[in-house]
Amino acid sequence: MPTTYPKCSPSEMTGLLVLLDSHKGDEDVARLADDLDLEIDEILPSLDFAEALDFVQVNDGRSTLTDTGRRFLAGTIRERKAVVRDQLRRTTLFRTLMRALESAPGHRLTDSELLRLVEFTTAPSDEVVQNIVNWGRYAELFRYDADDHLVVAIRRTAPPRAPPTSSSRPAGPGSGPSTASDGTDRSPPRATSAALAVC
Amino acid sequence: MVLIQVQHVDKSYPGRHGTMMIMQDISFDVADSDFLAIVGPSGCGKSTLLRLVQGLDRTTAGEIRFRDRPVQGVIPGMAMVFQNFALYPWLTVQQNVAFGLEALGWDRARTAASVERYISVTGLVGFEEAYPRELSGGMRQRVGLARALAVEPAVLLMDEPFSALDPLTAEGLREEVLQLWRDPQLPPDAVLLVTHNIEEAILLADRVLVLSHRPAHVLADVRVELPRPRDRKSEAFYELTDRVYSLITEGPSAPNGPAAKGTALPSAPSTGAPEHESL
Repeated sequence: MPTTYPKCSPSEMTGLLVLLDSHKGDEDVARLADDLDLEIDEILPSLDFAEALDFVQVNDGRSTLTDTGRRFLAGTIRERKAVVRDQLRRTTLFRTLMRALESAPGHRLTDSELLRLVEFTTAPSDEVVQNIVNWGRYAELFRYDADDHLVVAIRRTAPPRAPPTSSSRPAGPGSGPSTASDGTDRSPPRATSAALAVC
Repeated sequence: MVLIQVQHVDKSYPGRHGTMMIMQDISFDVADSDFLAIVGPSGCGKSTLLRLVQGLDRTTAGEIRFRDRPVQGVIPGMAMVFQNFALYPWLTVQQNVAFGLEALGWDRARTAASVERYISVTGLVGFEEAYPRELSGGMRQRVGLARALAVEPAVLLMDEPFSALDPLTAEGLREEVLQLWRDPQLPPDAVLLVTHNIEEAILLADRVLVLSHRPAHVLADVRVELPRPRDRKSEAFYELTDRVYSLITEGPSAPNGPAAKGTALPSAPSTGAPEHESL
């Protein structure tokens, strides 16, 4: 099932959250757009992305900051990247991407290999790839070689991967420890909006 | 502590039909904890003023002092961020940030440490080897910011730094600049922001210096004491934007101007300012 990728940059999403924060974390989507003299359409990608990362909840045209969203805003510029990294890791898209990167020969993927992992119908594919790469770089999930168009895993100095534990999985998103000893995210995939879901 | 003193500054240029007076008798101070916005009609000389403060250009009359010494040429204690980023497209992010430091004659170790620190602080980790063309507008301006902060300036000068960015990106970057300014462990101490956007001035600054049209003089020095984050649709915010806007379009004796309104907003302490109004 093809789905629309909410194309926004980390900068735009941050801006939206800052704007929402200036309304004490709770405001009509239309009012937010109005603040910046924008159409609702123009802030929707950022809103969708923020929702996919569990920074906001949107109901009946009203957007509200979640605890994770507040945690993002409370952080320094550096700390915010770490929060984004954690949240991106929980999305289906980035889980798939990181797993593919892990198992790829040389731990690298080309733009076209990345594209084969995801399929969206409403945006030019190279734009989507560049956007995904931008988020991954920002969140320090991987590096990118622009000359060779390669996504490159960041070398880890962590100990070798431990066998998966048979202990019970966390009950829901954000509950209980979700990181295995090798640093991979073992929490269940987020059941959020279709955005960032890979088909 | 006063960092910058602008004292009775005139600036004019020789023209074909005689001298063109850009600004006249401009006086104001900048303290080390100030976030000062400079607003005024288009073309009134705001950017020229910033260049004079940095020492990129010379005053025709009057004096500018930094740490109580006359500004004569570019000073390392101040650094500028530009509207169109002004990055070198053939240099990586890392190289762009390092550029100013090498010009200051810093040694390799000191340069590397500062570059790493300010790349980190501005959120650019992961993009060190990227070229400007690979970056979004917001990221490019962060490089401009990192480059300016890397020289560890006491004063950050910003010339319409958010005008070339989309509104959402601008909103986020404004808040990041505020964060950096407020952090006592990081430069700068003071910020001088030139903007044509009155709302932006009031969103960010503690003081708004309002210039008249050419030949520019200081119409008012408005203090903004709203708590942050500021809600641009609040009544207090609206009142301030309205007041500044009226000043710019109609001058200090406008019906909506400060003289007519009863609400007291204390003006900023500024020695030698010709128009000292209580707003």
